[in-house]
Amino acid sequence: MTEQRAMRVEVFRCDPSEGVAPHYERYTVEGRPEMRVLDVIRSIYEEQAGDLAFQYACRNGRCGTCGVKVNGTPVLACQERAKATMRIEPLSPFPVLRDLVVDRGEVEQRYLELELTVLREAPHAGSRDAVEPGRAREIGTLGSCISCLICVSACPAVAERPFDGPAFMVQLRRLNRNPADRGPRLRQAVEHGLLECFGCDICTQLCPADISPADVIRGFRRDLVLRPVAHGSRP
Amino acid sequence: MSEDLVRIERTDVLVAGCGGAGMRAAIEARAKGASVVLLAKGPVRANHTRMSGGRYNVVTGLNPEDSVDHFFRDTITGGADINNQVLARILVEEALDRAYDLESYGLVWERKTPADYLVVGSGGGSRLRTLGSFDEGIGVSEVMLHRSLRDGTVIREFQMLVDVVQDDDRRVVGGLVLDLARGQWVLYKCGALIIATGGTSQLYETNSGPAINTGDGIAIAYRAGAELIDIEHMQFIPIAFVYPPSIKGYTLTEPQQYGMRHFDVKGEPGKLLNTKGERFILKHDPVAREGGTRDVLARAIMLEILEGRGTPEGGVWLEPDSRVFEAFLHERPIYAKRILENYGERAARFEEPFQVMPSALYTTGGVRIDTWGRTTVAGLYAAGEAAGGVHGANRLGGNSMPDIQVFGRRAGLTAAQESLDAAPPSKAAIARAEARARELDAILLRDAGVRPPHVKRQVQRLMWNQVGLVRNGAGLTDALTRIDALRDQVLPSLRVTSRTRVVNREWMEAIELENMLDVAEAMAVAALARTETRGAHYRQDFPTRDDPVWLANLYCRRVSGRPQVEKRPLVTLTATAAPVGAQAAG
Repeated sequence: MTEQRAMRVEVFRCDPSEGVAPHYERYTVEGRPEMRVLDVIRSIYEEQAGDLAFQYACRNGRCGTCGVKVNGTPVLACQERAKATMRIEPLSPFPVLRDLVVDRGEVEQRYLELELTVLREAPHAGSRDAVEPGRAREIGTLGSCISCLICVSACPAVAERPFDGPAFMVQLRRLNRNPADRGPRLRQAVEHGLLECFGCDICTQLCPADISPADVIRGFRRDLVLRPVAHGSRP
Repeated sequence: MSEDLVRIERTDVLVAGCGGAGMRAAIEARAKGASVVLLAKGPVRANHTRMSGGRYNVVTGLNPEDSVDHFFRDTITGGADINNQVLARILVEEALDRAYDLESYGLVWERKTPADYLVVGSGGGSRLRTLGSFDEGIGVSEVMLHRSLRDGTVIREFQMLVDVVQDDDRRVVGGLVLDLARGQWVLYKCGALIIATGGTSQLYETNSGPAINTGDGIAIAYRAGAELIDIEHMQFIPIAFVYPPSIKGYTLTEPQQYGMRHFDVKGEPGKLLNTKGERFILKHDPVAREGGTRDVLARAIMLEILEGRGTPEGGVWLEPDSRVFEAFLHERPIYAKRILENYGERAARFEEPFQVMPSALYTTGGVRIDTWGRTTVAGLYAAGEAAGGVHGANRLGGNSMPDIQVFGRRAGLTAAQESLDAAPPSKAAIARAEARARELDAILLRDAGVRPPHVKRQVQRLMWNQVGLVRNGAGLTDALTRIDALRDQVLPSLRVTSRTRVVNREWMEAIELENMLDVAEAMAVAALARTETRGAHYRQDFPTRDDPVWLANLYCRRVSGRPQVEKRPLVTLTATAAPVGAQAAG
């Protein structure tokens, strides 16, 4: 555990408020091989670049706020092992506040518009909802989505087509599978680009929460065939 | 300075903090018709609720051996008998309705059958009464966030409450906020301000909390004149990761989860062993063993480490029972994955012991509240980890989730009702806020000095070594001298690398440091005053519990810039005439 190695790191720097144009700065960081990318970023901040803007909170893959691109691939900085040579950039395609910190405002607005709370026919009865244990597990697995936007950043369909992205499909599916929800989740999924997905599965490969957005999308598409969206009510 | 140094906005209720307590308060305040702005210091998902296992203690009626009286007694016994009993009684009585609220927002509790929740155990619980969901704290926080959004709560990310704005009669009439994303000052005029900023785990070198939990709200309330209670009691989770550094300190919950004790209160918990192979807990608690409360377990482990029977990496061994592996994987998939990634496959399959150490988790004390979340300052409310009294000297695992729901709702309800008759801030109050903004702006202009992250590390090391799990009079006195020096000499000379106003982490940390030192001082003063050992507070020089003298609470208030502690009798159920939970705020 004491072995050290030198890492060569290029970090994206940019400060629109001060007119500093996007560029890369180079740092060398000495550290142990099991270091995570976040450890490297924090080390740069503490020892070399006190003006570096970056974001993290939990260090543990739960808050989903430390997403960056490492050598072009979107990852959670706290979970990804550091590499000997790295280029670290903010998650695209989101607007950059400064350096590695992005503005998620537009994303949150989309979540808001989807009304991702259980829309009930009648108020909750104040007694236990009936949910099959297997269904509870399925909903809980979808509920483990940390909204880190790694999948949205990596999705080629988001880049090319009118598709909000896999993370939004996961949240819609979480509600769609809840027996108490009466929201038009399948219709919303279609309206937000369900049919634009290429089926490449990159979202599932990169998901730090081990969720399969690709399966979610396939599930929604199956439902669409079995019950047309024009009916307007939830399947 | 230009006149628009501080932008002014207006809301009925201002909630500082976007974790469970803050969001529950916002939901309730909106339901009562108040306009609500909720401030998140970082992105809205950066909060402590999200990091928790989401375990929720509640008497559901599904375990015929349990009752609210048992739940109440466990909570008081777990709190080493100094909880505010009126608050604790409300907690146990209202937990079920609030669990149904979470279900109504979309949280799906794990089940045995469609109608029966799975009920398991938690450390210190005499009965099985703990619910959970597969998505743990992530699910809890996510369903609340989406509910808040739909109900019309305005969420402002990267906005940090810096101080409250008080009128000449000290009533809180607004909040001074730094918009970190834009580098602008905002003064929110409000009728009520709720502190829900969580705890102070960042005061400690090894901690399990989010990086933003620097005790801001507790310090802000304290500076505004609010009383703190039980602030000497800091909870350390007994078992956390020891390595690698990236995850060191992150909670592994409780040893009982790693043994049959999880399903049967008579079963064995996961076993703790020192490097001599001794099951050292038997010296401390031969009855509950590793299924006891967190205070006893954390102290026992720390003493083994300090006395030289720990591993070279700084931990002890936890020997899990391989029979509970399948259930653990099913119930706690996220933890199982973290053990796999960091400790390897055999540990993750419970086939070999792995290393654990205590870590700062939860601020048991905090801002003193009444049953409706009011602090001792008019217009100022508090809820959740930032508030104190509910848990006494030690919190039971599974009790923070109902706490944030029950008291978040109560604070939100009261704040909404009492915000309506508020007067706008006076010119003098606004001028004071502007002066404070100018004072903090000046940090950006200093040319020489010490960088905030380095001072933060110093404070964290000092607190871990001298105001942590193992305390004594000399160490606490010395800590107070050092805290004084840091405040008097280092704070005024903090310097930041860049003058940019946008997402300037060093600037934020400089502001956090003042909060950290204020809370650290209050903690150390209260810890020095309590000359006994109780709950999470262990004094080497007073190693036993002293009920004749110390069955009491310490309240802490700022007088002439210094913490003044006062010992007062316990708040017991019998001492209050009004039936608990019945006095409706409306």
